[in-house]
Amino acid sequence: MTNKKIKYNPISPEVLEIAEEHHHTSEAVLEVLKELQDRHGVLSRETITDTARALDLPANRAFGMATFYSMLSLEERRNILRVCDGPVCWLKKAGVADWKEKAAPGWTVERTSCLGLCDHAPAVLVNDEQAGPVTTDEAQKVCEGWRGVPTEYSQVRKGETRVMTALIGKIDPDSIEDALANGVYDGLKSALQKTPQQVYEEVEASGLQGRGGAGFPVGRKWKFVASEKRTPRYIVCNADESEPLIFKDRVLIDTNPHQLLEGITIGGYACGASDAWIYIRGEYEYQARRLERAIEQVEAKNLLGKNILGTSFSFNIHVHRGAGAYICGEETALLESLEGKRGEPRLRPPYPPTYGFRGQPTAVNNVESFCAVPHIVKNGAEWWRNLTDDPTPGTKVYMILGQVNKPGLFEAPFGLTLRQVIEEFGGGMIPGSTFNFALCGGAAGTIVPPALMDSHIDYSSGPLKGVTRDIKAMEKRWTQVISMGAGAFLICDQNVSPVAFLRELLHFFAAESCGKCTPCRVGTWHSLEILDRMAEGKGVKGDTEELKMLAALMQDSSFCGLGQSVAIPMKSALAHFGAEFAKAETAEALPVLR
Amino acid sequence: MTINIIINGKKIEAQAGQTILQAAKEHDLHIPTLCYHKDLSPTGNCRMCVVEVKGGRFLQAACVTPVWEGMDIQTDSEKVVKDRRLTLQLMLANHTANCACCDVSNECELQELVYEYQAETPAWGTKGTRYKVDSDPNPFIHVDMNKCILCRRCVQACAEIQVRDVWGVAYRGFQEQIVAGAGTTLLEARCESCGQCVAYCPTGALSTKINYGQGMARAHQVTKVTTTCSYCGVGCQFDLVVKRGKVIGVASNPNSPVNGMALCVKGRFGYDYIHHPDRLTKPKVRRYLLEGGEKLKTNRKSEIANPKLEWVETDWDTALNITAKKLGEARDYFGSDSIGILTSAKCLNEENYLMNKLARQVIGTNNIDHCARL
Repeated sequence: MTNKKIKYNPISPEVLEIAEEHHHTSEAVLEVLKELQDRHGVLSRETITDTARALDLPANRAFGMATFYSMLSLEERRNILRVCDGPVCWLKKAGVADWKEKAAPGWTVERTSCLGLCDHAPAVLVNDEQAGPVTTDEAQKVCEGWRGVPTEYSQVRKGETRVMTALIGKIDPDSIEDALANGVYDGLKSALQKTPQQVYEEVEASGLQGRGGAGFPVGRKWKFVASEKRTPRYIVCNADESEPLIFKDRVLIDTNPHQLLEGITIGGYACGASDAWIYIRGEYEYQARRLERAIEQVEAKNLLGKNILGTSFSFNIHVHRGAGAYICGEETALLESLEGKRGEPRLRPPYPPTYGFRGQPTAVNNVESFCAVPHIVKNGAEWWRNLTDDPTPGTKVYMILGQVNKPGLFEAPFGLTLRQVIEEFGGGMIPGSTFNFALCGGAAGTIVPPALMDSHIDYSSGPLKGVTRDIKAMEKRWTQVISMGAGAFLICDQNVSPVAFLRELLHFFAAESCGKCTPCRVGTWHSLEILDRMAEGKGVKGDTEELKMLAALMQDSSFCGLGQSVAIPMKSALAHFGAEFAKAETAEALPVLR
Repeated sequence: MTINIIINGKKIEAQAGQTILQAAKEHDLHIPTLCYHKDLSPTGNCRMCVVEVKGGRFLQAACVTPVWEGMDIQTDSEKVVKDRRLTLQLMLANHTANCACCDVSNECELQELVYEYQAETPAWGTKGTRYKVDSDPNPFIHVDMNKCILCRRCVQACAEIQVRDVWGVAYRGFQEQIVAGAGTTLLEARCESCGQCVAYCPTGALSTKINYGQGMARAHQVTKVTTTCSYCGVGCQFDLVVKRGKVIGVASNPNSPVNGMALCVKGRFGYDYIHHPDRLTKPKVRRYLLEGGEKLKTNRKSEIANPKLEWVETDWDTALNITAKKLGEARDYFGSDSIGILTSAKCLNEENYLMNKLARQVIGTNNIDHCARL
């Protein structure tokens, strides 16, 4: 028998005070832990236990949170430099080890998965301030306050059709007057003249597809939510932009936050929702503050809050910060995280429109989807469809990165090919570079060889008309069609080895797998192990075969989209660059570091 | 509402709202499971029960996927079997590969599946111990997280059955592990040592500490005797595990009508009284009561030295006669209410009823109470 007496310790007054601010709701556990982390630079087991007790949770729940999110830590770290470990920064040769050497004393340097600053690569996060492009030579300066020169997008590229990005550089994003003078909130005003049903029918008629990557029709999702009888209903805006290569949502929020708020409010009106949450990734602290400022301004103008513009419609928008977890971009994991749990995906069905946040009907949409809505409501579905001749209507914000002359962000109608993206919008390959392959869509996108440069880019996995459900045809599409994903293209030249590149991607997935299901938890880890040795020139016979098996397993058997889509870059790389992988298995293989 | 589905080419009827696994079970069709347990809410973590559904892009977990009209399911297609085998290998890659020394070998669900699917431990796996063996000081529960496959049944058993919320999931990805409370010991995390987690653990990650290494799970060495717990009036049932005529442990019996798999710390771990040398097996009385003479005044310290006060074994008639005589004397001399009777939860209802009769009618007092009320 144990003689150990368990002493009663009162909850620390500090924890109680913070919990009180959040009304002791268990949903606030992430906020409370983040606040404590910011104050002390560390979360001790006592603090975690106290937090759990103050919020009436079992201690394991709070501890599970503290160890799940990468921005929370059980080890003390103040003045933290998070060095981006994403594929774009990797191409630009940013290295955590170098930063560790060169950072000023008193700074903690650690790796982090993609920061969403790909247009400023190589990037770092200095405490919660974004910096880039900054090289390790500037480490001292960065520690002293240098943050690099941010990219500017007011210059319109040739061939662009700007809708969502039209006001970039033309308005002060922090001024509601500027926004109002330029017609932001006209869409909301015209929506409020219509019935909610007319609004979602208009959006459905426009054919707007979700911009998060899956391409689900936005109007149809809203119809599902609006037709649920249960109230309250909720809107959730997915601004957890953690996919490597993707930074469009950050730019959209940064340049015109009111457009997003307007889109969300229209969504709320169409769905009959009472509240909305913008789930923004913790690394976007700057953008979160901008949104909070914007919300205050809009509330003062009665464009948000009680009885908006004298109508009976009342609506509130809240900003919720994540704390570093890619998986929280998966909509059900996001909802779990919003409810104060580990960001692990839920079983589907039921889908969020029937069983979402707090079990209520919820519409979860991407930032870009919401940003498109005001323009559709204002100008009509027909106008949106006429923006392009392509079967997929409207415009899309694209990101082009890597070894091209003009990397960055642009908006164009659907119906582009990779060649157009590189030649017309990206300004061609940089001198001395020839196109080797491109990663399209995002980290979970396809690796595209030169042979597919002229293929049409589309939502390959979206429920488009005519898309077959036949598995063999799907397989073929996955390796032969370029996936749109969230609309990013990372262009790599002849000096980038597909083996080393795939290793980087798996490095990301292994770091971000939530651990819930076996195929993804161990599969990503073991794939990385194989690719590590292949990239080091120590590959052994059978490695490629094993990678293929693991990819097939993860795709077929994983619990959620993360594990299922790890297979997309793996399969496409192995299909198109089989020779390179075969070479990495042989004894003559050389290390390919980049 | 009845709906029609096809499993492995065979048309069967299922109920709307059922999962594939439930429908298959009703028709005696076997789908392997690991993280699923009928007492716990299904989570779909382990991916062992994946099946192929015609028209689906991915394999579906049978334990959580509801059936729909016309669903065409293959439970053992080539692809499914291949995936299950590889999933098992991924589990083994992170699992101590020493079944011969494992306490639960023979009752291990992972071991059964590994055999069924002939999934060999991959060469790249089990590179060494990641966690300390027997890492928790809990006196009853043996923790070896190197054998954990992260099915989370322990977490659910603790939360859903015992409602104690001791176990939880921490860290993420390959580093994910099961922890008690805020990464502390079980007892500090409010564990009451009921051992539900041990009963539900499909592997040897959680096992019993007090009989570790005695071969509880070696079916050919032990016999199981189903019995009712003698500790209290709830009437939980379980199996006593007997080896060479000696009770070596208690195992949950899933068919117990009252308690199912659940037991409390006393029922599950408090069986050592059975073979304890101090256990009374015959009645004993003080020597002076048996041989006559006066009880010598004594203090507690010299009690043992006093030969008149020694306990002597006797037969039931003698012992009961002495008790009856003394009770009678006390009642007559000091009055009925000078006697009080406390009965035991270890007695049957009927025995307790008789004690009530004895107190109120024979002795004539209302001073009767029961230990379960204390």
